[in-house]
Amino acid sequence: MIKKRRMFFRMIFASLMRRRSRMIVALLSIAIGATILSGLVSIYYDVPRQMGAEFRNYGANMILTGRDGSFTNTNIAAAKGVIPSNELVGAAPYRYENVRIREKPVVAAGTDPAGVKATSPYWLINDGEWFEKSGELLVGANIADAFRLKAGDKIEVSYTPESQQAAAADNQVVEDNFREFTISGILKTGGSEEDYVYMPMSDLEELTGISDKIDLTELSVSATSDKLKDYASEIDSVVPAVNASLVKRVTASEATVLTKLQALVLLVTVVVLALTMICVATTMTAVVAERRKEIGLRKAIGASDGSIIKEFMGESMLLGLFGGIIGSVLGYVFAQQVSIHVFSSSISFRPLLVPITIIVSILVTGVSSLMPIRSATDIDPALVLKGE
Amino acid sequence: MSLLELKNVYKIYGELHALDDVSLKVEKGEWVSIMGPSGSGKSTMMNIIGCMDKPTKGEVLLDGVDISKESSKNLTTIRRDKIGLIFQQFHLVNYLTAVENVMLAQYYHSIPDEKEALEALERVGLADRARHLPSQLSGGEQQRVCVARALINYPEIILADEPTGNLDEANEEIVVDLFHKLHDDGTTLIVVTHDPEVAEVAQRTLVLRSGKFSKEIVNENFTGKIRFGDNNPI
Amino acid sequence: MFGRMIRGTLFRQWKKMLMIAFTIALGASLASAMLSVMLDVGDKVNQELKTYGANIKVVPKQSSVVSGLYEVEDGSAGAYLKEDELGKIKTIFWTYNIVDYAPFVNVDAKLSDGSEVTVVGSWFDHFMELPTGEKLNAGMESMRSWWEITSGSWLNEQTSGSVSGQAMVGTELAEKQGLKVGDKFSLTGESSSAEYTVACIFDSGGEEDSQIFIQLDSAQALGGLDGKVDSIEVSALTTPDNELAERAAKEGPTSLTVAQYELWYCTAYASSICWQIQEVITDCVASPVRQVADSEGEILNKTELLMILITILSLIGAALGICNLVTASVMERSQEIGLMKAIGAYNGSVSLLLLTEIFITAIIGGVAGFFAGFGFAQIIGHSVFGSAITLRPMVIPLVAVLVVVVTLIGCIPAIRMLLRLRPTEVLHGR
Repeated sequence: MIKKRRMFFRMIFASLMRRRSRMIVALLSIAIGATILSGLVSIYYDVPRQMGAEFRNYGANMILTGRDGSFTNTNIAAAKGVIPSNELVGAAPYRYENVRIREKPVVAAGTDPAGVKATSPYWLINDGEWFEKSGELLVGANIADAFRLKAGDKIEVSYTPESQQAAAADNQVVEDNFREFTISGILKTGGSEEDYVYMPMSDLEELTGISDKIDLTELSVSATSDKLKDYASEIDSVVPAVNASLVKRVTASEATVLTKLQALVLLVTVVVLALTMICVATTMTAVVAERRKEIGLRKAIGASDGSIIKEFMGESMLLGLFGGIIGSVLGYVFAQQVSIHVFSSSISFRPLLVPITIIVSILVTGVSSLMPIRSATDIDPALVLKGE
Repeated sequence: MSLLELKNVYKIYGELHALDDVSLKVEKGEWVSIMGPSGSGKSTMMNIIGCMDKPTKGEVLLDGVDISKESSKNLTTIRRDKIGLIFQQFHLVNYLTAVENVMLAQYYHSIPDEKEALEALERVGLADRARHLPSQLSGGEQQRVCVARALINYPEIILADEPTGNLDEANEEIVVDLFHKLHDDGTTLIVVTHDPEVAEVAQRTLVLRSGKFSKEIVNENFTGKIRFGDNNPI
Repeated sequence: MFGRMIRGTLFRQWKKMLMIAFTIALGASLASAMLSVMLDVGDKVNQELKTYGANIKVVPKQSSVVSGLYEVEDGSAGAYLKEDELGKIKTIFWTYNIVDYAPFVNVDAKLSDGSEVTVVGSWFDHFMELPTGEKLNAGMESMRSWWEITSGSWLNEQTSGSVSGQAMVGTELAEKQGLKVGDKFSLTGESSSAEYTVACIFDSGGEEDSQIFIQLDSAQALGGLDGKVDSIEVSALTTPDNELAERAAKEGPTSLTVAQYELWYCTAYASSICWQIQEVITDCVASPVRQVADSEGEILNKTELLMILITILSLIGAALGICNLVTASVMERSQEIGLMKAIGAYNGSVSLLLLTEIFITAIIGGVAGFFAGFGFAQIIGHSVFGSAITLRPMVIPLVAVLVVVVTLIGCIPAIRMLLRLRPTEVLHGR
């Protein structure tokens, strides 16, 4: 029996190796089918995550406010702890104070520059650069227009401490706090942000002399709206000082659009896969149908239908196996390239997809070769050998 | 009992009587030629003897078993066990080497044995070409591989369909010599041909015409070791 | 005789030819489905992204901050937009890309208990007839798709006639004031006061939750701001910004060359639509709302790129499928080809015969596949976006070229084999 099995494989390998060009054709089509399968399926599974990340461009989808006015950094840290760190895209605390520039009142916001960059990626610096260091000021476009400011200018920002505000109201001489800033850039958003100036939180704290006070925190979380609701209620219960609310405009719209995009990729995947699989099947059918004569010969020298089906199916399925393996690798490469080029992030490798791809390609090649093999074995060997 | 016996066999395709009441007896160890022009029913006869087709009417007894009533699955088994086929167009599997083509027959019959297959090739004088693919062999060499494949399972009958039809004279001679050798070893040979030169060397030649045997020529000068009617191989 | 031979193959070997036609049809349908979807996906997704609301905001030239800074009192010239110019927005070059728009006017008013409240006047689904004779509906309803109506329904300016006495109240305010749908309350503005009925309570998840929304003209009457509008929100289908658009936005369209300007003006960039709005509305600044416009661009670009890559992959798949089968089926006929050569056919004439046959088959398969593929695209369009995928004329030549080129490539190995073929080899069964 061992000898028989060895001969079985020897024949299959001979067929695969010595009919190389034909087999490469078949293998190529199976491999491309498997590539499409594994590539599209991994894209399909990764799109929600990747697209979700793209939708974070719309900015914060959760807002934390203090239940009684302001809250502290400790509260934020506790609230942030509720959200898994891989889902938290960014968090930016804001504190608003009335300050004066050239004796005119202006609202200044203290924040974390890096955090804002993550939560509000759509902020455009029209002129100059993003603010990073202490002493740098980001000026809203409207303010910049009004004061004729440009990037690189140095201006003085003054703040009237609470203790002096009574004096200010009485028109007495006030002792303002001063601080000089360099304008790092002009902010353009098309929204109300253009009416503010932004500075690092530490600068505002220094200017006002009051620290650890936050008015609100914007969070950008990469999660579905249901999950966001859970996080919000969890934050409410874990950190009583903080009230978490969702930015409906962002979450509701994201849910609508993202669902459609996923449906789109799903349908495209289904259509492409179905058509590709049929394509692979017809190719396999053609490849096998071509060997009717050989099947006839094998029958003539005494092969039973069963053993012919076994051999040819073995061959097809082996092709399916190789095609599946090549396809899983290429599919992963393709999905990876798509992910890098479209979303500039890498795709996670799904080990389960490898056996699935291989099994599907074996099944498709197997089933599609079975039909022509069957019809060839049904034919009288004499007829086939006579050359039709 | 004869090895092969056809009793009043008919093969009818619509109006055409490809075989029309044919009877034939072939004894064990005999070498018989069936000759006839195209359309005389040679191929039909060959297919029926080779268990690749069934008669419309009549009995075909192979080793005492009537194969005309067998299912096609059983016919395959009988063909595998009892008959070695040699074709005009050789019909080798083109991606298998000579020895592998021989082993293919072993494989379907029982168990492939490379050593035995090589010996068979040696017998047809192709020991040194065993690892070549059919495309690397000449026509004569391919036909000899075909002969080796036919005899590897020690069939009761070797059935050759125009074995020299595609060969030049030199190769024809080699194949005929091989037949002599096979005959000397006790193999029953049925050679279907329209080439009188090939037919004549057999012990007897049956001439088929319009589905009927019109003539039987017994070769008086037969040079083989086994004579007509002699049932005992050496 | 040539025609006869071709007919012979097509009709007598119809099974094999059908198989080739089928595979070509498959490939062509894959290609046309993917190309149609790919070319239309931008518009479709763009349409979907409109749920994020307006992407262009139009405000008076002298913004409130500036007037605040220089202590200019309210009511001075130029601080408001003119209501009678609103229709002009639908007269700009890219008018068909403007999906919806609505004016807003903010009025401070007092409720009967003396508490201050912001009242916003706007259009809900305002009907207008332009001087050009065009009729249109515009309003904020489609631009606030995320609003959750907790009770009641959106104000309907058209069916219920005048809704000037009705109001939409934010959920926070309604809770605080204990207002329910159907309740009446009075508002006192700067110049007049009136009584309103709560028609709807909404939850916006934003600052609007503590505001009251009423019809534009009644808000104007309340604040004594007849014919004046604070801002206009415009929802437009835009093309994602590229380098040109960015430069135009940054340095102003005057920095472009004439050719560049024309290209920019005639492309639906957010910045060029803004520019065109500024041309028709006096003393206004129209600027893209970057949160919406920029994100829209990102998502559109990503989706389109994703679809392009998937399309390329499926085109490769389709091409290989067709190629393989054509090669296989021609090779299969080597015997017949050998015979033809044996009886004296030249390589050229055999190749021509073969090519003609395959191409007739390819045309049949390609046409069938094109329609099937367009059907697939419609399935995708209807089930995902609820609307048909537009047939881009560009798809037809693309699919045609693909089918022809791929079939030709598929024939090359077969033809090469054919040229090498020696008749004897074939006829003697190699």
